[in-house]
Amino acid sequence: MEELFTYYDIYATKGVEYLIIIVFYIIIVAFWKFVNIKPY
Amino acid sequence: MAGEKLETVEIVKGKDESPNIKNFGDFWNFLKKELIPRGNIGTPFNVISLPIMLLGYIFIVYRLATGLGKPITNLNQQYPWGLWIGFDVVTGVAFAGGAYVLCFVVYILRVEKYHAIIRATVLNGFLAYLFYAGAIVLDIGRWWNIYNPMIGNNFGVNAVMFLVAWHFFLYMLAALVEFSPAIAEWLGMKRLRKILGAMTLGAVVFGICLSTLHQSGLAALMIMAKSKIHPLWYTEFMPILYFVSSIFAGLSMVVFEGSISHKVFGSQLDEAHRKHYDDILVGLARICAVTMFGYFFLKVILLVHEHAVPYLNSAMGFWYLFEVIGFILIPCLMFISGAQQKNVSTIKFAAILTMVGIILNRLNYTFIAYNWYVPLSEKYWPAPMELVVTASIILTEIWAFRWMVNRMPVLKEPPAWAVEKEH
Repeated sequence: MEELFTYYDIYATKGVEYLIIIVFYIIIVAFWKFVNIKPY
Repeated sequence: MAGEKLETVEIVKGKDESPNIKNFGDFWNFLKKELIPRGNIGTPFNVISLPIMLLGYIFIVYRLATGLGKPITNLNQQYPWGLWIGFDVVTGVAFAGGAYVLCFVVYILRVEKYHAIIRATVLNGFLAYLFYAGAIVLDIGRWWNIYNPMIGNNFGVNAVMFLVAWHFFLYMLAALVEFSPAIAEWLGMKRLRKILGAMTLGAVVFGICLSTLHQSGLAALMIMAKSKIHPLWYTEFMPILYFVSSIFAGLSMVVFEGSISHKVFGSQLDEAHRKHYDDILVGLARICAVTMFGYFFLKVILLVHEHAVPYLNSAMGFWYLFEVIGFILIPCLMFISGAQQKNVSTIKFAAILTMVGIILNRLNYTFIAYNWYVPLSEKYWPAPMELVVTASIILTEIWAFRWMVNRMPVLKEPPAWAVEKEH
């Protein structure tokens, strides 16, 4: 019988790398705003 | 002309004390006068540095006469590259990166805020290339053949070294042209000053192109050593890492060098420049922080991409984390904190940490994480003579920088005639 679900290796599919890139893009927005706060 | 205008924007008129040079005799007499030391020559710095420099020159002659092996260096077949390549050349070139970054910011992005420090930065970059990259002569076994890639006697176009040699040579010329208006002002050559000023923008664009290429070209040299460099450091994306890290390495050097220059040559600066300087540091800290943030993420993603995560739980892994967290992440946060609180001391300390991190990073590639499987007893350690030669080269560069800053309009105002006439 054909398997209905196949497991993939998150490393082999570069899933982790995509996740890191997404996290980077999320953080860079906050980081950019944080860096550009005017000195007090 | 475009370059001329850019070169002279916001320059305050200075006193016209230019020499009147009409022929070679006048130039020679002027040069002889300028070569005479000024002020007190018995300063602690001079007293300490001069013997080290002289000793270093003797060792350099000895190395050129007898070869690269012992006793002058601890290099061998297993460790062909040591302190001279790792520190003088690879690290020195990264530190010189401030020149192309600031030139891009000032001449291309037209952020005039940084114009006040552009000449000192370009001079620093030019001298770094002249002395540190020039030190590559010492590391070439048959050093007397160094001109061959330039004249076409066996070009060696398949070698990365060919690329690096031409990039270094051309960038030195570009940096010299970028700085040359200051030399023309020093010599009082008005016509030449105008021509050189017009060439500045072209030289800047050419210099930026060359820098992006050769900063990464240095890492291309390491790519062939895949089996020798530890997997935590080795990646085929090393050229990108070298290029990105040269941005904040160079700017950290600008912060460090600028801070020392402001103390040593403070008398040459006007009040407006001094007041403005803290804002410049805050701006540089921001650029460093953003670049380091990107670089940190690049390191993380490459760690996963190269399947190197399991290596973190080892002695070399801890050493890697020490480098990445201690000298990238922490200084990055310090730069942000310093910029927000306008705390110059924090920014300066972060710059020093960053510089130490870059030295560690480049030395890792050259001999620490290189042949990492070799027992500690067989590892390469720099020989005392190597250390003296390195110190001698650095001190010579500092002497040259000091000589030029004290004579040419680098930090001080240019002569009145050099101020724009076209507006």
